Amino acid sequence: MTDLGELRRETAEPGGPLLPAPDVRTAPADEPAPAPRRGAADPVKALLHRHRELCEQAVDPLEIAAGLEAHGVTDRTAARFRHRDVFSLAEELYARVPRDGDSRPPAATAVPRARADWIVLTLLPGALCAASLTALRLTHGQTRLLAAAAGVLAVALALRAALRRGPLSTGDRTATAPRRSTTASWTCWLIGYALLGDGLLGAAITGGPDGLPTGAAEGDWPFTTAPVLALALACAPAAWTAHLFSAHARRRLASSRGLEDFAASARPALLGAFALFLCALAALLALSAAFLDEPFAHPQTLALGALLLLARLLTVHGFTHAPKVILVATVTAQAAALATVFAARLPGCAALATPVDTLVTAWGPAAVPTLTCGAAALILLVHASRRLTRASAHTHPERPR
Amino acid sequence: MRIGLLTEGGYPYVSGGAGLWCDRLVRGLDRHEFDVYAFSRGEAQEDEGWVPLPPQVGRVLTAPLWTAGDDGVVYGRRARRRFTEHYGELAAALCTAADPAAPEADRFATALYGLAELARDEGGLVAALRSETAVRALERACRAPRALRAAREARVPDLLAVAAHLEQALRPLSLDWYEEDGLGAVDLCHATAGGAAALPGLLAHHFFGIPLLVTEYGVRLRTHYLTRPDSSPAVRALLAAFHGRLAAETYRRAAFITPGNAHARRWQERCGADRAKLRTVHPGMDAAPFDEVGESQEDADPHTLVWVGRVEPAKDLVSLLHAFAEIRKEEPGTRLRIIGGPSGAEGADYLGHCRALAAQLFPDEAEGPHSVGANPVSFEEIGGPDLPTVADAYASGAVTVLSSVVEGFPVGLVEAMLCGRATVSTDVGAVVEAIGGTGLVVPPRNPRALAEACVSLLRDPARRARLGAAARARALELFTVEQNVAAFHGLYLETVARTPVRRLRLNDSGDPLPFATPAEARVPGHWTDRTPRAVPVWAADPPVGAATPAPTTEAAR
Repeated sequence: MTDLGELRRETAEPGGPLLPAPDVRTAPADEPAPAPRRGAADPVKALLHRHRELCEQAVDPLEIAAGLEAHGVTDRTAARFRHRDVFSLAEELYARVPRDGDSRPPAATAVPRARADWIVLTLLPGALCAASLTALRLTHGQTRLLAAAAGVLAVALALRAALRRGPLSTGDRTATAPRRSTTASWTCWLIGYALLGDGLLGAAITGGPDGLPTGAAEGDWPFTTAPVLALALACAPAAWTAHLFSAHARRRLASSRGLEDFAASARPALLGAFALFLCALAALLALSAAFLDEPFAHPQTLALGALLLLARLLTVHGFTHAPKVILVATVTAQAAALATVFAARLPGCAALATPVDTLVTAWGPAAVPTLTCGAAALILLVHASRRLTRASAHTHPERPR
Repeated sequence: MRIGLLTEGGYPYVSGGAGLWCDRLVRGLDRHEFDVYAFSRGEAQEDEGWVPLPPQVGRVLTAPLWTAGDDGVVYGRRARRRFTEHYGELAAALCTAADPAAPEADRFATALYGLAELARDEGGLVAALRSETAVRALERACRAPRALRAAREARVPDLLAVAAHLEQALRPLSLDWYEEDGLGAVDLCHATAGGAAALPGLLAHHFFGIPLLVTEYGVRLRTHYLTRPDSSPAVRALLAAFHGRLAAETYRRAAFITPGNAHARRWQERCGADRAKLRTVHPGMDAAPFDEVGESQEDADPHTLVWVGRVEPAKDLVSLLHAFAEIRKEEPGTRLRIIGGPSGAEGADYLGHCRALAAQLFPDEAEGPHSVGANPVSFEEIGGPDLPTVADAYASGAVTVLSSVVEGFPVGLVEAMLCGRATVSTDVGAVVEAIGGTGLVVPPRNPRALAEACVSLLRDPARRARLGAAARARALELFTVEQNVAAFHGLYLETVARTPVRRLRLNDSGDPLPFATPAEARVPGHWTDRTPRAVPVWAADPPVGAATPAPTTEAAR
């Protein structure tokens, strides 16, 4: 009976490893129990040892009961431990197992990793755009038209592919979203305005345009291709900043204790990612302007890039309503600006063009997109800093099985 | 009578788990009308389609539980406040320790019905349950002073996980089934499982006072405990609280609860089911395929033991093989046939292990020096030329052995009983309940006891015959489809008989008409022609005087 003596000594220790507090509710250990198998004084102890992990992790006695039953413990087995049924046995186990309160370290959440496929895909629009602009320079006449069409098509397809994968993709959210946000057409208008709008506005103020654009950077209705090239190239930094932001958010999600903590740490991350993107875009803009020998068009392109990035970020995280409204409003403002200039040519309506005229004479035609896109981007930034810093924006939507 | 059958991942779908049972029930009760309200479990299941439905199934409404469409409703200030209040109550009820004095249960139920009413009035519950408002309410409840310790330790990912799970679990609240012409039009809701399937029944009870009958062959709460082992303690504690409270509320509101066996019954009692409401209804099995074997005892080889089932570790075939080694010492000519395929990859591994063990324990043996030998343990599968059906498998042996360490309701054992075979089984799950006194029962993981019981049966043909006949008689009495269907038929009638008439007819001025719905309205089938329902003339007239009796039942809510 040496093991019995050891057991007794162990149970008598106040801070014993197995029994931190003597349990008066259950079968007392110092009364010789009818030995179930090998003559242990405390039959439950062996059971506790065998199912230690189950008992330590259980959140209530019923969980232990379910686990015990899955291991083949029945009421007949429980009777050997001098219990009426499995439930009361489980209650004893639950009461006896030490719970020192050391919660397990938070499980490492799956932080999205940078993957080669989307990295390559986000480089594609920029490359294709540069290639088609080069082709436009080298061709003339009919061939030039064909090259332009092919270039637009290629860039659109590449953009679509880049937005399907990686951090800029909406992933599974579109499956559960009620309506797919149809922001594509509004985005097209904004990019189209960046390409043609300033030239058109400038020409319209001075009484033109007298013909269709020739595709050259000079002339009556000039193209400004540098912003478009810069925006196409900016797909890659956009994806990277979105990736950095979501990875940071996911990491903070795992480590933060409360929702306020998370919001407080996510806000600087969002603003940092946004600033990083703006810097990258400015650099790319300078590069592409130098490459295409065009004047710098910084403010309006930066504003447009910021607007598009924020709209995409919000959409990616499931907030589709605000980006759509803001994009529509921006497009409407730009279209209205153009329309008032043309409408002013009608007899008696000359006053219509006064606001745009004043604006353009003061700051040039770039003032219209700068103001509209800038204001929109600012509104979206405020909105994003409230919405994207919520923890619920960074959950994985469940996959349909 | 019109019965709303609530199923989850089951009946009308081809690949449903409990589909066969529901199908038999619906076909067996052809004098009643059935409306099937089904939750599907996945896209694959929906694609596979439905089983052919009998004409008594009036309509089938399905809803997916695996995905939820957002209806695009954005709450205004008042609705948002209502949502925050109810969801906060729900979260607080989950986060505080369960109190036997039961105000918590009321709190949980009030919050649940509050959310359901909100969803019915305004819609948009799915988006609200996913929103930050919900997570914040959950956080507040977890940080409250009287919260559970596990809940207080909840971190942000835990909160998000709980919120996501609650959103999933509360999807039935957003359905459009709770209308006067939907679940309000049935006389009785029969939930074929607990948990999500019973939730529409609870709401129908709440909104329209429809009685609810809950059948559970496996207790949903127990399944929940067994299937969510990997989350953090906070998540498990909160979700266990949710499912426990939901089960308690279901049991409290149900008119009757029908567990499939005593094991489920014990769990239900433990979760707060009133004993007076519990009626054990054993699963029914089709006895016809086993009749031929059950009636004749000729082709049983007196020296063969049979084990039939899906091979998996829980069946403890190793212990059976060791027991068989003991049997061979006593009765050298005995053979053991293990019949059944593996279930899953784990089962395949286990089968290989068992084959190796059998080859090791028992050398091949032949009748004479010039014949080819064979192992006394054979592993076979049903469907081959010598074992075309399950009944043939049982028929091929004198004694059927069950050696499981874990078992729910032992279907194989009941099949052996229907075949009139003497059985030796281990004392697990509902085995003792099924076998009664008509077979031998030994403790699990005890090869020696198993061997002794087998040997005693192998040596005593008369006892085998007696036990087999008794087993068949018992199975025919307790475990047939007919008794199952008859039990539910009786329960339906009893439930409705206890439920007062709730549809009040109103006259032109909006006062209730007493006796306007006669008792014959519940006669099964069409009891009238196309002519309008016969109402006593004096009842159709506006009541004279102001002494209109107050309605004793609530019309809608």
